[in-house]
This record gives sequence, structure tokens and C-alpha cells, in this order.
Amino acid sequence: MSSEHLGERLSALVDGELGPDEHERALIHLAKCEPCRFEADMTRRLKSRLHGLGEPEPDLDFMGRLSSLDGRSGQDGPNPFAPPLGGGFGAGPPLGSSRPLGGFPGDPDGPGGEPLAANTPGTAAPGEPPTAAEERGERGRSEFLAQLLTPFPGGRYAVAGAAVVTALLGTAFVAGGEAEDTPVVEPRLADFAVEHAVTSRHIPVETSPEAQETRAEAGAEQAGR
Amino acid sequence: MSTEDPSSRPRRSAPAALLAVTALCVLLLVSAVHPEANQVPAEGADDGLPVLRAAAEAEEETHYAAVRRVTGPEGRSASLRVANHPDRGIVFAPAGSEDEPFVVEASQALESLDDRLLEVLRETYRVVDAGRTELGGRSARLVEAVRADGTVAGRFWVDTDNDLLVGRTAYDRDGGAALSMNLTDLETGEGEWPDHAWTGQPWGEALEAGDREDLRSEGWELQEHLTWDLHLVDARATRHEGHKVVHAVYSDGLAQISLFLQRGKLETDHPTAPFGGYVGTEQGGAGISSGHDTIFGGDAGQYQTMWQADGFVFTVLADAPADLATSAVTALPSPEGSSGFWARVERGLDRMGPL
Repeated sequence: MSSEHLGERLSALVDGELGPDEHERALIHLAKCEPCRFEADMTRRLKSRLHGLGEPEPDLDFMGRLSSLDGRSGQDGPNPFAPPLGGGFGAGPPLGSSRPLGGFPGDPDGPGGEPLAANTPGTAAPGEPPTAAEERGERGRSEFLAQLLTPFPGGRYAVAGAAVVTALLGTAFVAGGEAEDTPVVEPRLADFAVEHAVTSRHIPVETSPEAQETRAEAGAEQAGR
Repeated sequence: MSTEDPSSRPRRSAPAALLAVTALCVLLLVSAVHPEANQVPAEGADDGLPVLRAAAEAEEETHYAAVRRVTGPEGRSASLRVANHPDRGIVFAPAGSEDEPFVVEASQALESLDDRLLEVLRETYRVVDAGRTELGGRSARLVEAVRADGTVAGRFWVDTDNDLLVGRTAYDRDGGAALSMNLTDLETGEGEWPDHAWTGQPWGEALEAGDREDLRSEGWELQEHLTWDLHLVDARATRHEGHKVVHAVYSDGLAQISLFLQRGKLETDHPTAPFGGYVGTEQGGAGISSGHDTIFGGDAGQYQTMWQADGFVFTVLADAPADLATSAVTALPSPEGSSGFWARVERGLDRMGPL
């Protein structure tokens, strides 16, 4: 390798795309050339950060609503708001993946193409991404759970009401418990009787057989008025 | 045009119909518990009140001795000797036990209580002067306490010679005589004062309106009215073993009901089960106690019951018609007779109050 800087080969070195001899010579150059070493370091860091960004995660709620839209359109017939290509937004191929005019080489729909057996349902190879049929199965299970909660209009209100009642019963159960520090008392009935006799100015009396015998003449006059 | 399945309409309207029926039932129940026509204060001229005020003044000024005969709702009677000493008090001695008298000492508190009892009588009933009559061969003036529906709730006989109250009867709502007292063998003049007597005075700590409000805020069930006709006429407190005990006196002007309140709970082996949580009487206060006769002793128109609720022990002693005693007991928190789930939930809802 000459004393020239690595230039475009620097990027290939970072990407590991150089052949063994080229790679050996590039490393020898880096050992001697401070600018190339600095540039190689910066390039490596930049590529590393770009790889660390990853792909954006789809919004789950948004995807759920898209799925339900798709399922409902299948149940209730044609959706007047569905895009003309069929399926919801995102169900079609990504931008840029459309087939070029004339088709790909070997495309069965293209000139000279042949049928693609892998497109037949149930013939997907293990380890491959889930097919449309498998996705519909997953979506069906989530829809089944959603339908359990909405068997009649206002189902979500019934669930909320049941939760409120449960919370109320639980709170009342706790509030109805007996305080641990409540002392055991034996009311002093004798003292109470005296206090009651004082304020009512009357003491309790026992009836005697003699008194009961004379009750007719005793109370008849007052009771009969 | 609707594509809804017609067969599903009845099912969807069922909850609404159920809700409507429930609301109707609640409405009917609410209307059913509205106060009856006679459960309101009676209006009209209280021309009999001056007669009763004169009798109260005569009680504070006249020395006399007599036999008081008490007759309960079943007609059973009992007698005791009474001697009134206006400056010192009233001496009570059950017939046959004159050497063991009980003295209620005279006090300003009791005079004030008499004034409040007369005021409550005026507020609750129409107090009518029914004219002259006779009782036990003595000339008397009859005063009637009349309910709003015109039925008589109570009668008083006031001796025309000395203005002393010589007879009184309280009637239940069916018109039956529930509790009667009348004086016989009446002799005016200063009699002997017993050398040895068991004495009693009202508990010393009077609870004024502010004190009662403070107690209520601390959870004490100290209501100003138990029912429309039972007014709080006196409230006092004392301490037993360092713990406060409150005595609240409720009255309609004719009968008195004592409610004793104290924090705590009864022993677990207390015999609460036979009467649905109430001790002493059947649930609601009906029936005469057999549980504490040896303590309270009376069986002529007297009711007593005890129970625990909301961390308090309630004891009710009443010289009153059974229906009045029952309404007082049922106006208070229900007894905690069960520790089951729903009983505990019900108790908790009661404690939480209106949400």
C-alpha cells in the first residue's frame, strides 16, 4: 500500500468488505497514519450509532383499531370508507415495493413466469413470518375477548358498575369490622336504675298477689275514662 | 329501515323495565313510611297547661304523704309510700319495706327538668282543660293531652283543694291504659324525714348543647329527637372506671325514656342471641324484661333493654307505653348480633353514612 490515505477504502474497511490482503495493508497504513486512524474511528462510531437506532415500533392502539376496522369490514360487507385497493391502511405492500412495469424477472404474473407454490395457504415453511391466515387467527381471538365484554349495549357500563359495587362492598366490609381497641364493658345497671329513678321521680316496684287482686278497683276508674 | 332483530327488543328493554319496577317499589316504600296523620304535633289552644303548671308549683311548695299506686299495661298494680319535702326531696318506700327508703334529693336540675317536660308536652300534644271531675272521691280538675288525630294520649287529675297532681295515665296508640299512677291516702303537712335512706341525685356533669355537639362529632349517638314525639329533655354524664357514661332523657311530656351510652362492647358470652341482639326485652323493646328484674326490679309498665352497636353499648330504661319504648329503641342503631359477611357489610354501610 502506498503512502496515500485510505479514502473510500476506509468505509469498506469499517464495513469489513475488504479482502484479506487489502485488509492487512489497510491496517498497516492505519498504524502509521494518524488522520486515517482518526477518520476510521469516527466512521466506525457513526455507523455504530446508526445501527443502534433500530426501526420505529408501531403504536399498538393504532394497530388494534386498524385490526378491528379490518375485521368489521369482513363481517358487515363492503366498507364504503375502505381504500380502493382493499384492506386497511398498512395492509398493502410498503411504498417502493410495488412491482415495476413488466414485472420482476421470474415473476409468475410477468412474462414467462410460472406459478409460485409458496403462495398456497398452508404451505409456508417453518420459521417464516406468519402468513395472513395466522394473523387473522390472532385477530379473531382478540375480537372474541372484545365481544365477550359487549354482549349488549352498555356492556362496558355494566362492567364499570360491577367494579363500583365490588369496591363499595369491600369498603363497607372493612368499615364494618370491629375495632381492636374497643373495651369490654359491663353496664352498671344498678347505677343506671338509680339515675333513671331520680330523673323520673319514680322507683320500680314489684307487684304483689294482693295488689293484683285489687287491680280492678285500683285502675278501673282511670283506665276507663 | 332498521335491520335490528325484532326478537332481541324485549331482551334489551328488560333492564329498563326492571329499573322502572324497582323505582316504583322504592317510591311505594318511601310513601308507605311517610308519617301518619297523627304523627305530627297537635295544634290548638293549650288551656290545660296553666293547671299543670300550678300543680308543678304546688309540688315544690306542699308537704304531703300518700300512697302511690302504679298500674301497668296488663292491669297489674303495685304500691309505694311517698313523702314530699319540698326543700329536701321525695322519699319513696315500697309497701312493706318502709325501713329501706329511697330519697330523691331536691335540686335545681330537677326543677328545670319539670319545666322542660311541660314545654315538651305543650309542643307535642294539645293540652286541654276537660273540666271538673272526681278521682277516688276527691274533687279534681281533668287535663287531657290530645294527639293531632283527636285521640287521647294522656290524662292528668289535679286536686282542686291543694293543686297537687293526684293521678296521671298514659295511653298507647290503641287507646289502652299503658301506665297509671294515682295518690291515695293523701295527707298534707310536714311528715318525718327518714334517719337512714339511700339517696340519689342527677349525675353532676350536665351536657349543654355545645357538649352534645362535640360528643356527636366523636360518634356518640346523642340525638336531639329520637322520634317525632320523643325530645331530648336532659343529658348528663358521669364516669365509670374512668370511662364516660352519658345519660340522655327523652320524653313526650307524658313518659320518660332513659338512654345510657358508653363506649365499648359487651362480653362475648353475653346472652344477646335469644332476642335478636337485644338483652332484657324482645326485639324492638316490646315485652317486659325478665333478665334484670333483680337489678331494676319493676314489672309495672317498665321496660329495659341493652345491646351493642358501632362501638357503643346502649341501655334503655323506660317508664312508658310499650309502643313508645319500642319506637325509641328502634330509632337507635341496630344491635350487632351477627359477625357474618352481610351483617358486617350492613354495619359498614351504616357507619359510612350517606355517600
